[in-house]
Amino acid sequence: MDIRVRHASHAYGGLAVLSDIDLVAPAGKILCLVGPSGCGKSTLLRLMGGLERPTSGAIELVGAPPSGCLNELTFVFQHFALLPWASVEGNVRFVLDHHRLSEAERAEIVADVLARTGLADFAEAWPRQLSGGMRQRVAIARALAVRPAVLLMDEPLSALDSQTREILMEDLVGLWTRAPFTAVYVTHNLAEAVRLGHAVAVMSRRPGRIREIVAIDTPLSERRPDDPELERVQARLWSLLRDEAIDADRELVDG
Amino acid sequence: MTTLATTRRSVLAGIGAASTLPFLPRRARAATPLNLGVLRLTSHAPNYIAYERGYFAEEGFEVELVFFEAAQPMAVAIASGDADFGVTAISGGLVSLAQRGAVKVIGGALAEEPGIPGQVVLASNQAYDSGLTTAAALPGHTFGITTAGSSFHYMLSRVARGEGFDIAQVEMRPLQKVGTIVAALGSGQIDSWAIVPSISNRLLAEGQAKKIADMSQYAPDYQVTTVFTSSAIANDDRARAEAFLRALSRGVNDYNAAFVDKTANAEEQAELAALVGQYVSPDVPAERFLETMTTTSMRINRDLGLSVSSVRDQLDWFKAEGMVPADVTEEMLIDPSFVATF
Amino acid sequence: MVDLSPARQPREADARPVPFRGGGFAPGRNRWAGLVVFVALIAFFEVGTRTGVISSLTMPPPSAVAQTLWRLVETGLLWQNLGPSLYRLAMGSLVGCGAGILVGFAIGLFTLARAGLVPLVSALFPIPKIALLPLFVIWFGIGEGSKVALIAFGTFTPTVVATFGAVDGVDRGLIRMAQSFGVPWLRIVTRVVLPDALAGILSGLRVSLAIGIVLLVAAEMLGARYGIGAYILEAGALYDLERLFAGVVILSVLGLLVSAGIGALERRLLRWRG
Ligand SMILES: Nc1ncnc2c1ncn2[C@@H]1O[C@H](COP(=O)(O)OP(=O)(O)OP(=O)(O)O)[C@@H](O)[C@H]1O
Ligand SMILES: [Mg+2]
Repeated sequence: MDIRVRHASHAYGGLAVLSDIDLVAPAGKILCLVGPSGCGKSTLLRLMGGLERPTSGAIELVGAPPSGCLNELTFVFQHFALLPWASVEGNVRFVLDHHRLSEAERAEIVADVLARTGLADFAEAWPRQLSGGMRQRVAIARALAVRPAVLLMDEPLSALDSQTREILMEDLVGLWTRAPFTAVYVTHNLAEAVRLGHAVAVMSRRPGRIREIVAIDTPLSERRPDDPELERVQARLWSLLRDEAIDADRELVDG
Repeated sequence: MTTLATTRRSVLAGIGAASTLPFLPRRARAATPLNLGVLRLTSHAPNYIAYERGYFAEEGFEVELVFFEAAQPMAVAIASGDADFGVTAISGGLVSLAQRGAVKVIGGALAEEPGIPGQVVLASNQAYDSGLTTAAALPGHTFGITTAGSSFHYMLSRVARGEGFDIAQVEMRPLQKVGTIVAALGSGQIDSWAIVPSISNRLLAEGQAKKIADMSQYAPDYQVTTVFTSSAIANDDRARAEAFLRALSRGVNDYNAAFVDKTANAEEQAELAALVGQYVSPDVPAERFLETMTTTSMRINRDLGLSVSSVRDQLDWFKAEGMVPADVTEEMLIDPSFVATF
Repeated sequence: MVDLSPARQPREADARPVPFRGGGFAPGRNRWAGLVVFVALIAFFEVGTRTGVISSLTMPPPSAVAQTLWRLVETGLLWQNLGPSLYRLAMGSLVGCGAGILVGFAIGLFTLARAGLVPLVSALFPIPKIALLPLFVIWFGIGEGSKVALIAFGTFTPTVVATFGAVDGVDRGLIRMAQSFGVPWLRIVTRVVLPDALAGILSGLRVSLAIGIVLLVAAEMLGARYGIGAYILEAGALYDLERLFAGVVILSVLGLLVSAGIGALERRLLRWRG
């Protein structure tokens, strides 16, 4: 299922945040979204996920969701958003409980996603007992449990240290390779974008618009951290972003 | 604490005391300060009369009236020395303080006397209509008291004794304040009560309750209130206590002559009623207050004589009910050496 | 490469330890200190009253209070008085705290309830509930009704305030998360808002119940033959200090028990906080 943004603009009060965004996240691919801080990436993701309505323009879903899909547009949040009073398993079950599923089906889904994210041994643990990386794994497991049509990931790895981030990137690549999913992936980190994105959309500073979409053809599973081709793409992304980022940095918020 | 109607003399004395100038004129006999505990009740009329007419001043007292809402805090204030003398019913609290050597009863005041208005037993209209027409019918009904060990509680015990029923058959309702009892009786939340005529007459006149008995029928010699002071004064400052009782007795004589025996002329009655009314019921018109005084005033014992037999009966009752320790003696409570006793 | 291991460094003559500046601001636990203060205080009053340094008018000897308490237990008077009080406290705070939590949630969740009820609750909060006692007697009668109502009313407002504060403080991110997974409204309230607000609600209950105990005495001013509050009032009227203090001790113990009960509830329900 594709998700399509058509001429969407958004403003908070008088503050124009997004301007005339036209974008398609194609089915079965990961679209990365990069841009200077405050350019409206998170806002765009919330629009795509139906948590907010665009001031003008439209967001559309194209095609049928995958079979067994329980929640078409599913978020993975930067700060995990785990229920601290529920165990790992409880957190996954929380998003299944209101669906008409038999207990057996539920148990099967939970076991499956915990196994896929390497959490099978931690089902009973409290979130506070887990490291950051493990917590984000729980959030990813929870997102996978509802068999999403599109995963909307807002800087899912930016709260983690760089080693953990590396490991989770490999995990995500593994997950996608075994069962390709559609995702929109917001990040500040260009290395992440070139490792995970089939395409990288570069946004201008606020009010955000799409400056360029860079496609990366190397299959995900073959990308390596020191791949010269990827380094070239990353350098190009940086050159696109650099001036915008410097200007964005000097801007007074609420000026 | 308020002092009303400051006399010219007290103003002068105030200046003298506060001043640092030594050559200001001073009176030959320096007035002794005296804090007198009072309640805003007609039964405290002699206090106001003696105060207003200067009887205390003539005995050399610089009196400050200390107003209380209830008898209990007044007793505690006298024990603590914040007030020197007071007049109140004998309650469990007063006996306890006496047992601790803090206060002494030195005279009698309000008393039941046949032929003179006395306390009455009242029934709420609702209870009366459904059969509570005599005190004998009290069992199974509720009866308002302020607190356990109050004079109301004692009166109920006397009614029970007289009618020959067990006091436990009446359900007592402790309501802390007289005003609350009045409201509860008027609205039928309680069935019965016993109270002094100045209050009962008003309730009866307004149709808020029905009279079912006279207290004097059950306790003809009932010493309702007594004069008391701290043990320190009673023991070590006899002259002061005697002077106080002399002055207060003059107020009592005026009161009895005007409102109880009615030997005084109308002019005197009106003057005294106005003088008392400003403290007791400043919001009631003078004529109405005068009428209340002349129709509902109970006897206050001449020269503040004390019915020791009645006090003994009350004390025995407190002990029997376990409200005060069994080892309290009459001597702890009363110093009978100040006034005539009977 | 520079060798930075301390053992290899020459010891300078003017080397000195880094001064420690990080202590304090972290009161720890000490069960004994409380007990010692308590025992010392009791011993002080016992000796003081026995020797007469403290007048018998101001303080009863603690041992006499203990005896009075023991007699209360022996004669069954304790239960005769504690029973009605516990009933009033339980009913009153059940109604008051229950309604308070519901209203607090309504205020925390609905614009209309917030706009309509917050001013009302703010207006009700500072009313001395004792002042309303006569009114309560007219409304609810002189029996148990007015007593329960007084405690209910007194516990209601602090519970409302604590609850809606707690609901306001719920992590919006978690609510967005639940919404993004299509979790229905009621389930968000019960499974996200309630657990997150629970800590705040429980600490509100701690205050509310303490207020309930305070109001117990006031409630029993009116027409109560039995009850700890009535017992204390009667002791005061009789100037019976032993009984007065015995009653006060019972109230204190009641307060301690309620507080311990809530503590236990917190430990159970908020286990996830570790
Ligand atoms: N709910 C809101 N109300 C008002 N202004 C908002 C709101 N959310 C975001 N903004 C403003 O909109 C702009 C874009 O915010 P957004 O979070 O989408 O940017 P972003 O690209 O995700 O930034 P970052 O890189 O810091 O995550 C910012 O200036 C922000 O202050
Ligand atoms: Mg963002």
